[in-house]
Amino acid sequence: MDHTRTLFFTGKGGVGKTSLSCATGLALAEAGKRVLIVSTDPASNLDEVLGTPLGQTPCAIAGAPGLFALNIDPEAAAHDYKERMVAPYRGILPAAAIASMEEQFSGACTVEIAAFDEFAKLLGDPAATLGFDHVIFDTAPTGHTLRLLTLPSAWTDFIASSTGGASCLGPLAGLEKQKALYAATVAQLSDPATTTIVLVARAEVSALREAERTRHELQDLGVRNLRLALNGVFAAGQTGDDVALAMEGRGRDAVAEMPAGLSLLPRDQFPFLPRGTVGLDSLQSLFRPAPAFVPSPEPFAPGRLPAGLVPLLDDLEAAGHGVIMTMGKGGVGKTTMAAALAVALAARGHKVVLSTTDPAAHLAATMAGEASNLCVARIDPEAEVARYRDEVLAKAGASLDESGRAMLEEDLRSPCTEEIAVFRAFARTVEGGKDGFVVLDTAPTGHTILLLDAAEAYHREVLRTQADMPDAVRNLLPRLRDPSFTRILIVTLAEATPVHEAERLAQDLGRAGITPYAWVINQSLLASGTAHPLLAQRGRYEMAFIRKVSDELAPRTALVPWQADVPVGKTGLLRLVR
Amino acid sequence: MTKLEIYDPAMCCSTGVCGPEVDPVLVTFAADLKWVAEQGVAVHRYNLGQEPQAFAANPAVVKEMEAGMDRLPIIAVDGHIVSTGVHLSRDQLAAKLGLAAGGKPTASCCSPKSGCC
Repeated sequence: MDHTRTLFFTGKGGVGKTSLSCATGLALAEAGKRVLIVSTDPASNLDEVLGTPLGQTPCAIAGAPGLFALNIDPEAAAHDYKERMVAPYRGILPAAAIASMEEQFSGACTVEIAAFDEFAKLLGDPAATLGFDHVIFDTAPTGHTLRLLTLPSAWTDFIASSTGGASCLGPLAGLEKQKALYAATVAQLSDPATTTIVLVARAEVSALREAERTRHELQDLGVRNLRLALNGVFAAGQTGDDVALAMEGRGRDAVAEMPAGLSLLPRDQFPFLPRGTVGLDSLQSLFRPAPAFVPSPEPFAPGRLPAGLVPLLDDLEAAGHGVIMTMGKGGVGKTTMAAALAVALAARGHKVVLSTTDPAAHLAATMAGEASNLCVARIDPEAEVARYRDEVLAKAGASLDESGRAMLEEDLRSPCTEEIAVFRAFARTVEGGKDGFVVLDTAPTGHTILLLDAAEAYHREVLRTQADMPDAVRNLLPRLRDPSFTRILIVTLAEATPVHEAERLAQDLGRAGITPYAWVINQSLLASGTAHPLLAQRGRYEMAFIRKVSDELAPRTALVPWQADVPVGKTGLLRLVR
Repeated sequence: MTKLEIYDPAMCCSTGVCGPEVDPVLVTFAADLKWVAEQGVAVHRYNLGQEPQAFAANPAVVKEMEAGMDRLPIIAVDGHIVSTGVHLSRDQLAAKLGLAAGGKPTASCCSPKSGCC
């Protein structure tokens, strides 16, 4: 593979962006190049992976001549920015004003733009990376950010007048100074001579779907120099182990059925590593033929593991009714968990509504008609967003000129909009929680809840209109905060990045005054009983994360084994709750 | 030149699409301000989340906020507060500014059945 000077690795959390960035950097350094690795991922464990404490300036990596790295936390950058903006007004403006200002800087948009700001500083300023042959980023700006920054009205409206402007750019001051720098950065991203974007995915349907979405978005923006990196490709070898054979087969199927656009990209493949990718030795093994695997000689006793889903189900059932929400990043199995709990509650004779946003919806389809007291409702995020978008444009778009309309349309593509649109849809479903159980595979973030809360107060007290706030939404907000009515289950995997992301979800809910009821650790190889040496080794690696969740993070924890048979249909789902 | 100042609450987005319901008032209001500016009025719009210095620098505005955050948005003409708690319609703005009403009619500040206008 011939490398451009700048490389971006992008993909959803936990697919191995940091690992592949480091492995690529290390391989280039070993070939005699001077390489800088930059992490702007708030969940980054770059320090740990490279075995060197890092800061905000390039730091030489011990044991790898020519390799340097630096770590930028965009959340810290966003936080610093918030402090700079808010602190001077403490004691001057009323406390309520300070609180409402702070909430504006707590959304995903602020962090996203803060991250882009960091890219721009390094990419747009040649002096910043002078002397390096390659600069590798373990994250990439999202399509939403890039589109916003290329909209002329995003800049002119925001800067020139104070009557409009893009929501997501709002949190950055001194924008005018940044404009040229940002424009140069966006231009460089689409220059194939200097920049490659590597889409990182696992051999899993959801990760490949996400990679395809990103590919499509970037291609529309004129970014064409893309590669696909398939990480964690597992080969079972000669074995009779059910778990190993099922895992190999599932990966093979996912790759065989990958979206056409993705399959045409140049592709690199990296093997499954049983001990994670911490340390230079492990990183090297990503690029070298694997030596024969030698299992750890020391005996392993996991100690007491958290229980499965049954005790959790018993406690949920005892309430007799209410709302159960599973929450987590994509690919951790929150839909499966929601469906399993719904089917099990229905099997115990309760009236249950399962509301899912699962885009495949196969889960819902396979269960319909199998249990008479279970009703499956599907929320289609795309349809909800489209409906919301049409509604907004019909109500509000008519009075706008072309640039104003473009601005509004881009606001409607922000991650907040999807969350709001979905939130409205399931607010309708939650009404049913008074009489029976309602199980949802999605939950609003703390940021959304606080925004809606503020919006409700705003509408009620300021505009004094009754019509604008749907009743379902009005009732939902207090219900979400009522621990005897709503129980939030955080779903995660026993791996570094998913646990870190789940921790951040929980913190965000905390800001809205909501404590998760329990955490569910899904797809555990340790709990699967596999005897395959590679997978068993990987199971041991999970132990530290299981401990962290059950001892430090969760009020209660359920551990769910990796399933050799895909858990769909009533029978498959009930197997999870046994 | 007449000066119109608007002190908005901290809003995620000026178009209001981040709220639980689209607020056409916000979108229309932005268009109305553009019209007002075209009539030769100097328009300054401040968002608490983005330009707090404008709020802090105006003691009358701080005093209103201390009485309650529901006083936002505050609208001032030549430094005098002319309304609190509502985004005025184009006709109302025109009246406060002594302009001849004109152009496209706009939505009033609230839904017709609430009876607050």
